[in-house]
Amino acid sequence: MQNVDAVNSDFIEKEPKMNYLTNGFTLKSWLLTKDHKRIAIMYLITVSAFFLIGGLYAATIRLELLTPQSDLLESGTYNKVFTQHGIIMVFLFLIPVIPAILGNFLLPIMIGAKDLALPRINLLSLYIYWIGGALIMYALMQGGVDTGWTFYTPYSTTFSNTYVMATGLGIFINGFSSILTGLNFIVTVHTMRAPGMTWFRLPLFVWANYATSLVMILGTPVVAITVLLLALERIGKVGIFDPAIGGDPILFQHLFWFYSHPAVYIMILPGMGIISELISNFSRKKIFGYEFIAFSSIAIAVFGFLVWGHHMFVSGQSIYAGLVFSFLTMVVAIPSAIKMFNWSATLYKGSISYDTPMLYAIGFMGLFLVGGLTGLFLGSMGLTVHLTDTYFIVAHFHYVMVGGQVLAYLGGLHYWWSKMTGKLYSEFWGKISAMLIFVGFNLTFFPQFILGYQGMPRRYASYAEELQVLNIFSTAGASVLGLGMILPLVYLTHSLIFGKNASSNPWMLPGLEWRVPSPPPTENFESTPIVTWEAYDFSDENGLDLEEARRRHLATIV
Amino acid sequence: MVNVNNMATHEHDYHPPGLQHQFEDMKQQEESVALGMWAFLVQEIMFFGGLFTAYLVFRSRYPMAFAAGSNHLDAFLGGLNTLVLIVSSLTMALTVYYAQKGKRMMQVWLIILTMLFGTTFLVVKYFEYSDKYHHGLVPVTGLNKRTKAADPNAPKTEGTYVNTRSEFQWHDEKGDKIILEAREKGYLTPHEEIGYFTNGELDNNKVRDKVRIFFWIYFVMTGLHALHMIVGLGIMMWLLWTAWRGAYSADYYSPVEMSGLYWHFVDIVWIFLFPMLYLLGRHFLAGGH
Repeated sequence: MQNVDAVNSDFIEKEPKMNYLTNGFTLKSWLLTKDHKRIAIMYLITVSAFFLIGGLYAATIRLELLTPQSDLLESGTYNKVFTQHGIIMVFLFLIPVIPAILGNFLLPIMIGAKDLALPRINLLSLYIYWIGGALIMYALMQGGVDTGWTFYTPYSTTFSNTYVMATGLGIFINGFSSILTGLNFIVTVHTMRAPGMTWFRLPLFVWANYATSLVMILGTPVVAITVLLLALERIGKVGIFDPAIGGDPILFQHLFWFYSHPAVYIMILPGMGIISELISNFSRKKIFGYEFIAFSSIAIAVFGFLVWGHHMFVSGQSIYAGLVFSFLTMVVAIPSAIKMFNWSATLYKGSISYDTPMLYAIGFMGLFLVGGLTGLFLGSMGLTVHLTDTYFIVAHFHYVMVGGQVLAYLGGLHYWWSKMTGKLYSEFWGKISAMLIFVGFNLTFFPQFILGYQGMPRRYASYAEELQVLNIFSTAGASVLGLGMILPLVYLTHSLIFGKNASSNPWMLPGLEWRVPSPPPTENFESTPIVTWEAYDFSDENGLDLEEARRRHLATIV
Repeated sequence: MVNVNNMATHEHDYHPPGLQHQFEDMKQQEESVALGMWAFLVQEIMFFGGLFTAYLVFRSRYPMAFAAGSNHLDAFLGGLNTLVLIVSSLTMALTVYYAQKGKRMMQVWLIILTMLFGTTFLVVKYFEYSDKYHHGLVPVTGLNKRTKAADPNAPKTEGTYVNTRSEFQWHDEKGDKIILEAREKGYLTPHEEIGYFTNGELDNNKVRDKVRIFFWIYFVMTGLHALHMIVGLGIMMWLLWTAWRGAYSADYYSPVEMSGLYWHFVDIVWIFLFPMLYLLGRHFLAGGH
């Protein structure tokens, strides 16, 4: 990079000599940093490692399900494998992935702030995440846990002989990491906006993270206390979830899902925020219905707290409660649909460029549509009796979680990669992998809808022989999906060393994050910016010198 | 605070004491810190909310057992502790007032007083817990006072504590009588009708299990509350140290205010716990109903 700087010195001279990456090289300068960008990078590395581990478990599951017999793994081991896949993916990957990495990195820059409002709390949340993750990894190496990621009582309190305590404690601790991140985001959005950055000029990614943060601070403490009660019950051998003494295992499910259903929205709302960014920016058109998208995020966060009972339709909850929960579940579809329609309307007559992030965004729209609509199948009380605990539901939530959040995350990571690292990745390989992931994903999970409808239950290592063909499709798809996921790891890492340098604005976009150098300096802005333009303003009044940006871009990548 | 940002592009001419680098001015910092604290308290409410839900569910199912359990808590000590905490809230509020005035020694004395009241609360709580330990009312087996096996030939006297396995124990004839009376009058909830009786006879083991749920909730709720008190005392220690050094003035007192918010929150939780655990339903068993 130093050499390139010398060659292009007349263009670079306006950029600060030091960016956040070159500001200190010691280990201490990383581990004790309060810079939100460095914390985001440390999250990126850790979360990616957990994603890899969770992915290996997924691969093991798919390999086992290649044949109807339980031959690769015995049933007990299989229970542990799918449990650990779920725990790692949900608590250590899906929940932190977008807020803690991209949100952490971009939220302050997008609102024109030097840092998050509470930088030390931000670092603390990273350490809490590490400690929680380490405990879960410890439990895993000691022999793992076999309760399913939902820890249903009384199995988890009384009968399971696996490492429930260590895992539960890990999740308990880890919860406070996301509480603190959410708290920090809320405070930052309220108090740290630059002059002129009004609420309705905020990028929608910020709105989405704000809504997510609300869920994080309202929901996570409930699961924390629930897991704590579970742990105490396991130690004390007595407690409120034990039916033998008049306790109520269903109460555990209520408390668990009161968090864990809203948590599902923690796992999709930030993704929707990224998609709003990508759709608008790669159509080079102001987003359609800004306010509707912004408030639909809030609406999803609010309604998300009122639908937890739809996880318990067959657990013996009253039929009237079930009716209300079913109705409210349908209601949540409305704000989600508002987003889908607005994105489609944004695309209409836009000048769309099919760069890698946009491919992910379009993939997201298709997959989230399927995932969301199948959610309505499961939310209707009659059909759900047939589909509960089958592969239909496995396919449904993978369409939302992987097809939604993971695709959005990858799209966002590619989109902001140049900003985060100052390097350009290979667009060719980016497109290849985006398409591989889309194809591989559908091949993996679409057959599971059919399998589930035909009655294949989830969480078993063996299945009826007539279901093998579709399972082979699914496993084959998983291999393609795995390849598609490995590719970004390779070419993104490759770009760090061999990639071309990125200018401050390689996509020629008006957002505030594209007006700071790539990578940004530690303080983000030389002086506090004054915002005079609307979000996604592609008109001439957006204060952006496009000619200059283009000149710089060409000069940098030479 | 280790400043690792040796880049130091923030070369402000004037830096008010306590202003952190990410903020423009003190007003912004105070707003951020206050909002952060309130958001933290919201998550604390949700944290205790799970427990309050559990309490609500089981209280509505087994009101008689809960009332009987309440009757074995010392309402006088509970009331005393309530008073102690309310006074400690006063001294805490006064600390904030004198921090705003910048009066150092008043802050120091009031913080010491607040800590004294906080410690009194914990000491009283210790005596209450130890009473439960001596009477076999701790719901977890092994955490009650263990006695040697009683001589089977010795005459049994009323009220002797025998607990060879350190188990949760429950004998309450008065409570049993009132449960039976409530059944005659048709006051029992459906859960109670199957939860206390075996073949139509009052089953002491079943009643004991329900009361055990009460004591389980009691210990978890007051235990977590006491843990918050201990954390609060830690914060007070730090506050005492900084106030002693004269860190707070009319320009900069938000740490005192924020610690105060936390302290008041912990008090308020107790204000809810006291009537719920100690008072509700006592009149069932106090006679003269």
